[in-house]
Amino acid sequence: MGPGEQAETVIDLRGIQKWFDDNHVLRGVDLTVTRGEHVCVFGPSGSGKSTLLRTINLLEEPQRGSVRILGVEYGPGVDGEVGRGRAPAKQLRQHVGMVFQQFNLFPHMTVLDNVAIALRRVRGVDRAEAEERAARQLRRVGLLQKVSAYPSQLSGGQQQRVAIARALVLDPDVMLFDEPTSALDPELVGEVLGAMRDLAETGMTMVVVTHEMGFAREIGDQNVFMDEGVIVEQGGREIYTDSREARTRDFIRAVL
Amino acid sequence: MSAATVVLAQQVVTFSPKVILDNLDLLWDGVQLTVLVSVISFGIATFLGVFVALARMSERRAVATFAAGYINILRSIPLLVFIVFIYYGVAIYFGLTFATGIQAGIFAFSLQYSAWLGEIFRSGIQAVPKGQREAAMAVGMGPVRTFVTVILPQAVRVAIPPTGNMMVGMVKDSALLYVIGVQELFRNAQLLANRTFRYFEIYLAIVVIYLVLTTTVYYGMKFLEQRLRPVDVLASVERRFAPLERRRRERLRTLRDRIAAEAPPTRIVAPEATP
Repeated sequence: MGPGEQAETVIDLRGIQKWFDDNHVLRGVDLTVTRGEHVCVFGPSGSGKSTLLRTINLLEEPQRGSVRILGVEYGPGVDGEVGRGRAPAKQLRQHVGMVFQQFNLFPHMTVLDNVAIALRRVRGVDRAEAEERAARQLRRVGLLQKVSAYPSQLSGGQQQRVAIARALVLDPDVMLFDEPTSALDPELVGEVLGAMRDLAETGMTMVVVTHEMGFAREIGDQNVFMDEGVIVEQGGREIYTDSREARTRDFIRAVL
Repeated sequence: MSAATVVLAQQVVTFSPKVILDNLDLLWDGVQLTVLVSVISFGIATFLGVFVALARMSERRAVATFAAGYINILRSIPLLVFIVFIYYGVAIYFGLTFATGIQAGIFAFSLQYSAWLGEIFRSGIQAVPKGQREAAMAVGMGPVRTFVTVILPQAVRVAIPPTGNMMVGMVKDSALLYVIGVQELFRNAQLLANRTFRYFEIYLAIVVIYLVLTTTVYYGMKFLEQRLRPVDVLASVERRFAPLERRRRERLRTLRDRIAAEAPPTRIVAPEATP
């Protein structure tokens, strides 16, 4: 991509509103992510940051707002164009990989099957090829030796790396990370952040909800501070040292 | 009077297994019918139970309410009463003719056990963490694929022990069919005892037979449970199912070595990716 050329928009959220019963958790959020960009989202618990991330692959359906992935509308739409031309969520998930806080590996399958299963059952790749591609992804995250292990035989850090491989094997256009290190013992955080750092270096588009401010400062091209269902402030790395909003400053001071 | 007392006393004190051996065929007929009724009823109940569980969890309020009512009503009727009600009450009132009590029995058992099993299956399905479903959806699986590939295998593991208990219960409950004249094990034993007056021997024999039947079921379920146990006991399971596991292990080892020998993964570095 030459200078002056516009980067392709991968995610385009507009006017996202989400209620859980009476609880208005997202109150009109806009977010645009271009290819190769690394977006870090932070904020206090209950700020709506995880919910926002989950609306990107429609694990949470917003009641209002536009969810465009690679130009295709999957959301209910902003007012006036509600429900027009919505594509199915299954199609969206072909482009979006997700890594969860609790890993959510399938405990009844080997590590290899965890990674290969979607290739086989969703993409229709035959078994031999699916396993080969899965093994390659596991090698990328340093877990090729564990192909025949079960998730419960792995440490949390290893499980989370398997989860990363499980998402990557589907060759997504963007990877979502929902507090990927929050459930880990402190000594295991580093290996997962390491894998994510490597992934960032390959140019993968990433949206990361995290409390790891050091990591965010390191990879975040676009940094988003959320509170009470809205984006309070967003910007480059300067947000961590030189934020405009008092709320952002207070939060960063509190977690650092 | 005194002679009768002597006879009775003799019968209490003497033990004659010969009566069992002489009538093995009758007892064997009973065993067969007991097993047949149990297996068929349990099969139908399992099939129905899956739908009861799914209906009970349905997002459609009416369907869920109906399923809840079905479960509550069926579970609240004593099985013996239900059997009699079906065979005499319902059949006569609605002019149904059950060719034999066997059909009526299977009908009653299937319905009532489907209610119990439905609740067991529901708790099994609900025991699977929500994150499992989300992870399956996130890799692109639809609802049916998610259920079959991810939820069900885990739910089954949870549901097996209580389902095994139900199966043992079914074998025992089948004795209730004596009341509508089905010639299962208990009924045949009764007929035999009334004819020979060898109550102790005959009832002891069927106690032992029931014990054998239920123990068989118990160990069968134990076997299944172990077979499907997740990982903690993988080592012991592996020993027991060595050939299967070994083949699989070998295949994975070959794959692992082959991939390890490949050139290191090429990075798709996009130089302009990070400004």
